[in-house]
Amino acid sequence: MDFNMQADTPETSAFRKEVRQWLQENMRGSEKLRWSASWSTRENEEEYRFRRNLAGKLGKKGWLFPMFPVEYGGAGLTIHHQTVLETELAEYGLSLNHVFYTIARIVAPVILKWGTEEQKREFLPPMVRGEISVWQVLTEPQGGSDVANCQTRAIRDGDRYVVSGQKVMVGHHKPPDFLWTLVCTDPSRPRHENLGWLHIPANLPGITIQPMYMMMGLKNTVFFDGVRVPAKYLVGDENNGWRVANTHLELEHGGEGRVGADPLVERVVEYCQKTKIAGMPLMEDDQVRDTIADMMIDLNTLRRFNQRNYWHRHTRNPHPYGGAQQRYFQRVMRLRNGERLQRIMGCDALVQDLSVHEVVDFEYAVRTGPGQLHGGGTLDTDRLVFARRVGLGRPTKEKAPETI
Amino acid sequence: MDLRLTETQEMFKKVAADFVRAEVPAHLMTQWYRTKETFRPEVYRKAASLGWLGMLLPEEYGGAETSFTDCATVFEELGRGPVPGPFFAAGVLAAQIVFAGGSDEQKKSLLPAICKGGSIPIPAITDKAAGWGAEAVETSLTRSGSGFILDGSKRFVFDAEAATGFIVAARTEIGEIALVLVDRASAGLSIKPLVGFTVSAAEVTFEKVRLSGSSVITASSGWQVLSAALEKSLPILCAYQVGACQEIFDFTAEYTRTRVVFGQPIGRFQRVQDHCVDLSVHLDAARYATYEALWRLDSGLPAAAAVHEAKAIASEGYYQACNYAHMVFAGPGTDYGHPLMAHSVLAHTLYQYLGTPWHHKRSMMDLLYPISWIPLAGCLALSL
Ligand SMILES: Cc1cc2nc3c(=O)[nH]c(=O)nc-3n(C[C@H](O)[C@H](O)[C@H](O)COP(=O)(O)OP(=O)(O)OC[C@H]3O[C@@H](n4cnc5c(N)ncnc54)[C@H](O)[C@@H]3O)c2cc1C
Repeated sequence: MDFNMQADTPETSAFRKEVRQWLQENMRGSEKLRWSASWSTRENEEEYRFRRNLAGKLGKKGWLFPMFPVEYGGAGLTIHHQTVLETELAEYGLSLNHVFYTIARIVAPVILKWGTEEQKREFLPPMVRGEISVWQVLTEPQGGSDVANCQTRAIRDGDRYVVSGQKVMVGHHKPPDFLWTLVCTDPSRPRHENLGWLHIPANLPGITIQPMYMMMGLKNTVFFDGVRVPAKYLVGDENNGWRVANTHLELEHGGEGRVGADPLVERVVEYCQKTKIAGMPLMEDDQVRDTIADMMIDLNTLRRFNQRNYWHRHTRNPHPYGGAQQRYFQRVMRLRNGERLQRIMGCDALVQDLSVHEVVDFEYAVRTGPGQLHGGGTLDTDRLVFARRVGLGRPTKEKAPETI
Repeated sequence: MDLRLTETQEMFKKVAADFVRAEVPAHLMTQWYRTKETFRPEVYRKAASLGWLGMLLPEEYGGAETSFTDCATVFEELGRGPVPGPFFAAGVLAAQIVFAGGSDEQKKSLLPAICKGGSIPIPAITDKAAGWGAEAVETSLTRSGSGFILDGSKRFVFDAEAATGFIVAARTEIGEIALVLVDRASAGLSIKPLVGFTVSAAEVTFEKVRLSGSSVITASSGWQVLSAALEKSLPILCAYQVGACQEIFDFTAEYTRTRVVFGQPIGRFQRVQDHCVDLSVHLDAARYATYEALWRLDSGLPAAAAVHEAKAIASEGYYQACNYAHMVFAGPGTDYGHPLMAHSVLAHTLYQYLGTPWHHKRSMMDLLYPISWIPLAGCLALSL
């Protein structure tokens, strides 16, 4: 096995040089924001502008989606190039996923897989170049876990779909350009055969967005009131939405993988080296060291799960249960780490105060511990998916969908 | 990046898997573990003939000079058994100790014999049951004429029953740590198998055992030699534990399909699924930590911290994998005739073997973030 993500061919080593230099130039002055970008739901104007700005610049070069074909806004490069980009961004605590403060990282591959040629040419480039913001809009008030029980109607009327319904807990604190929305295209058909996906321009009449104030930050309720959406925005055919949803959910459920590591431990160590009690740095306290060791081991395990999933995805050999396992582990781990931070740094872990650390607010990590458990499906959903993939209690194993 | 095994490794794996199926069938294996007759000379000899002892050693010493990962693929399959015997203790760790610290003569006489299976030296390192580390070496080595006298008792020696001899860590008169070779037949040496929830472990006592000068591997740098050998050996033990976890995961998942309670396969119960998810997390955490450490060794990258990490994760993982499997199997899993029981008792034993997870986590931290003793030195200067 070769875990080295930086092994270059002559071709990629030139590319690495180019990327490194480009990042040096474009990160100048923003170095301190690097960590914050991996907490992409934090509401901070400066961070938001930084991410959007960087995403736009990366997108212009096709580097936001380096493996996407050039005609859709990508750079038409290989997995090796993408890995170069990821590993170089990781030097700044960034990854392509987190630079880009929209859910397009999931939506664009789904459109690439399910869209018609025309749709790909029209919808993908702005997204792939990082110019627009897309929200994923699935959850409804009557229960988000049961995604297939979608009540938002999209009834065909000539060359339009008329959309009515309500979605909750979607988006973030900045307005969207498009709403990637799961709808029911035919209420008379059986479950799983009645769904569709619409890529809805957010400025159509009949759409109302209301803020929801939540633990993780701002989310929104979206009301669709007879919104007339041109039929060209339906991706992946009428009533075929469940299959499209599978691609979407596999990506959201950890299957996309990642390279690079979460720098939380480094920051905690910095804090513990600086902070003294009775003249002794926290870093020399045995209990603190034991706690940090546990955090580090968990984060390393997560990094290895991410790398495995990344490798499986890009060698087109999806891991049977790796996505669900990674997500379950990641979220339980973050919850545990919240408590560990409290144990180590006391009240500093509860206070939103950047003076504690130049860029990290540990409070964010603590607060979001219980909140991040549910986004994109709960821990129970992860375990449900796992059980099907492994074939627990059943004779057959469900295959992991291809994700591109 | 390439997370596949090579063709050679796939072949090693297959040969080892076939071996385990043929030589260690479950009905015999469970019996061996139950009666604690875990050293099977016939199994050990066959493994030697396949070249699995001293695999990592250079060819001139009878080894196969394989990569660490190659060797690990074999041990992963052995762990599936779990095949008992001193494959690791003698074939990997003892071989590495002699290779790292022995004289040319010792290497030439001992290493080929280890590879052939004729010589089975078993490391006997710490005296106390609790604690692992240089400070837990108390057995004394004192000069006597041209030779030495070894005196002390090693509370927990894994695979002692199989030994033809021991590699013993001992304190010299000036407090340094020596490593010495001791023949099993030495006068004053006794072996008392430990009874309890542990397997293949014994207390080995050296009562004024006389040794010749040539039995010394190192007179002063015992712990350094041992550490160097452990860095190269522990990931192979981890691979054994990974194989064991994989076996447990596979037979547990299968049981969720076949065991029917309340009219449905138990795998339909979400609580049962939860146990399987947690089991899998421990399995894969151990798997990738282990193979990453192996890769570091094979690539010549600094590996010491990664090895400590892997040992901590794999020992804890094996232990927890058993616990979660116990939750799924309930009563039948606690029958000594069930393979899970062999794993369970072995997992508890390996949790202790060569340092607990806690010890290895602390060692990892000490390597990555050494504590500066300057403040302490300052106090000392003042009090003087
Ligand atoms: C931070 C955050 C961000 C989010 N972002 C988005 C977004 O961008 N877009 C979007 O569409 N949605 C988003 N959501 C919504 C999210 O997808 C839902 O919260 C999630 O799918 C769960 O739905 P629910 O909250 O309605 O819980 P419910 O479905 O009501 O579940 C309640 C409880 O029942 C359990 N449960 C339900 N079904 C089963 C089952 N079959 N087996 C076992 N237990 C079960 C659940 O695990 C949970 O414990 C976000 C949520 C959060 C917290």
